[in-house]
Amino acid sequence: MSPQPLSPNNVRDLLDSVEAFLFDCDGVIWKGNELIDGVSQTLDMLRWKGKKVVFVTNNSLKSRAQYAQKFRSLGISVSPDEIFSSSFAAAMYLKVNHFPSQSKVYVIGGEGILEELQLAGFTAFGGPGDANKTVDLKQNCFVEHDKSVGAVVVGIDPNINYYKLQYGTLCIRENPGCLFIATNRDAVGHMTASQEWPGAGCMVAAICGSTQKEPIVVGKPSTFMMEFLLKKFNLSCSKMCMVGDRLDTDILFGQNAGCKTLLVFSGCTPQSVLQDPSNNIQPDYYTSKISDMLDLSGK
Amino acid sequence: MLTTTSSSTLAQSVTVTCIRHGDGHGHGHGHGHRQWFQPLPVNYRFSDAARNSLLSNSSIFNLNRTPNRNRIGMGTFTTRAAAAAQPLKNADELIDSVETFIFDCDGVIWKGDKLIEGVPETLDMLRSKGKRLVFVTNNSTKSRKQYGKKFETLGLNVSEEEIFASSFAAAAYLKSIDFPKDKKVYVIGEDGILKELELAGFQYLGGPEDGGKKIELKPGFFMEHDENVGAVVVGFDRYFNYYKIQYGTLCIRENPGCLFIATNRDAVTHLTDAQEWAGGGSMVGAISGSTQREPLVVGKPSTFMMDYLANKFGISKSQICMVGDRLDTDILFGQNGGCKTLLVLSGVTTLTMLQSPNNSTQPDFYTNKISDFLSLKAAAV
Repeated sequence: MSPQPLSPNNVRDLLDSVEAFLFDCDGVIWKGNELIDGVSQTLDMLRWKGKKVVFVTNNSLKSRAQYAQKFRSLGISVSPDEIFSSSFAAAMYLKVNHFPSQSKVYVIGGEGILEELQLAGFTAFGGPGDANKTVDLKQNCFVEHDKSVGAVVVGIDPNINYYKLQYGTLCIRENPGCLFIATNRDAVGHMTASQEWPGAGCMVAAICGSTQKEPIVVGKPSTFMMEFLLKKFNLSCSKMCMVGDRLDTDILFGQNAGCKTLLVFSGCTPQSVLQDPSNNIQPDYYTSKISDMLDLSGK
Repeated sequence: MLTTTSSSTLAQSVTVTCIRHGDGHGHGHGHGHRQWFQPLPVNYRFSDAARNSLLSNSSIFNLNRTPNRNRIGMGTFTTRAAAAAQPLKNADELIDSVETFIFDCDGVIWKGDKLIEGVPETLDMLRSKGKRLVFVTNNSTKSRKQYGKKFETLGLNVSEEEIFASSFAAAAYLKSIDFPKDKKVYVIGEDGILKELELAGFQYLGGPEDGGKKIELKPGFFMEHDENVGAVVVGFDRYFNYYKIQYGTLCIRENPGCLFIATNRDAVTHLTDAQEWAGGGSMVGAISGSTQREPLVVGKPSTFMMDYLANKFGISKSQICMVGDRLDTDILFGQNGGCKTLLVLSGVTTLTMLQSPNNSTQPDFYTNKISDFLSLKAAAV
């Protein structure tokens, strides 16, 4: 089925048939640290109409609490409960799979992952703390690694270095049963408003390259977070709409879960990519930015 | 579901190899890149069975890559029935049947900075029988000249012209496609690559000095990149960091026709004899992950170096025996090139790994170390 551009006709249908909107953040709500035009008013309108609003982001640099703080600084009131970051997803994955409390977690990623793991009661280390570590490649040298690490969690890491790659590689290759978890595999993301930067997909692929193993992916388009959302909010998928700027994570996530999907062009995907013959991910709807939902509905 | 790409697809558009693990992910969107040369058929794909066993924690040696028996540029692959490797008994017969021996270095000639027992005598014996000796290593940290020095320090009589490191291969590849001298090469790798590029007359940027550059993702920060970069070469890099990843990614994604070349994709490597270290496969994987492109691989198991030296020395592949310690690079390299293969157990591969049901790469012969050429020879008399 061909994607439909959002119009005054179909926007009303969309707003009537959907009870919960799941928003991606980067490229949908904000770009870097700048709020996208009309976002506040659109979220207000949806809440006023009694819609549930949640945020599902693959960006694992922050924890839910830190994201709530970012929303607040941009003038939007959101509770941490309404945010599902991939940092949170990693911690929840370990929780629902009964990761033993005596096992440790090594993190290649940001503070957000460490915080969520610690909140969930796990012993986690690594992260930004290993940013300045180097290796010695002289004769007889080797890196010591903790044999009680039972999982390596990899997310976007602007402080990536060889020490972290080696540490994570040793844990995965040598600690029996060690899990290799990826928060997500986005190739690039708008870490600053003006430019795209390498995403978790990069760090994850680096570890795949040295371990020759594939990770368990907890972020979009894996439906792991959706299962969590469904349980938490008691919603049915057919009454949900995933709104995102990325075809291979946001839209695929929505499709995998069986909910409606809306692609916006305010982030990393221009219309030309959606319509390119090599693209085979087709959202239900598309529009330039989320405030079109407000403008087109005539409110 | 495993998606594969043939070399003709590589010429037209950016594609991504996706593995569905549980809830995997679909194709990334990309943009077309017209490539103005024939790409190397170097992206060997795993069969589903092999990939699935990789996922279940088994050994790294169940790589079911199919050997390519065709010329550079062709996209077809044929499979080869894997007859079990034979223990080397009659060394003389093997030695007499070939004219050239290609040796891997790490795990065959030396381990870290220590020479393996019996190597000097073995090489001398082969030379005295009129055999040509060539050394092919995926290690791109040194140039041929620097390797020549290493051989010298270890008391081995090997000349620079007999050494083919993947650092050299990257420069030789660019030369072979007439890479324009007014274009630049961005290097994510170490000194060896820089030295070889310089020798070949190419302009380069990057290398170890970019290891000191830090990124701060503050609002308003924008990274510029040189639009004249026409190739990004990626190899093992102990100074790997986010600056280099972004710089390489920008060049590949935004400079039209920019090449993405990998010296090699070894997962781990014995940089010191005390441990296995994350190898070039890690850095290359990272750039593949951010660009959603597969690289052109110039090191083993790609046959680029084999074709290059066969052409240079005028030797036919059936007259060559490849000797190495690694199944998924050395032995596959020999098989891909159509020559005899001998696995030595003095490096990363054990007999158990070779004989594991998960391993489908079978060399013609295996033996403990290359000096067995001498001891087996004596025993056969």
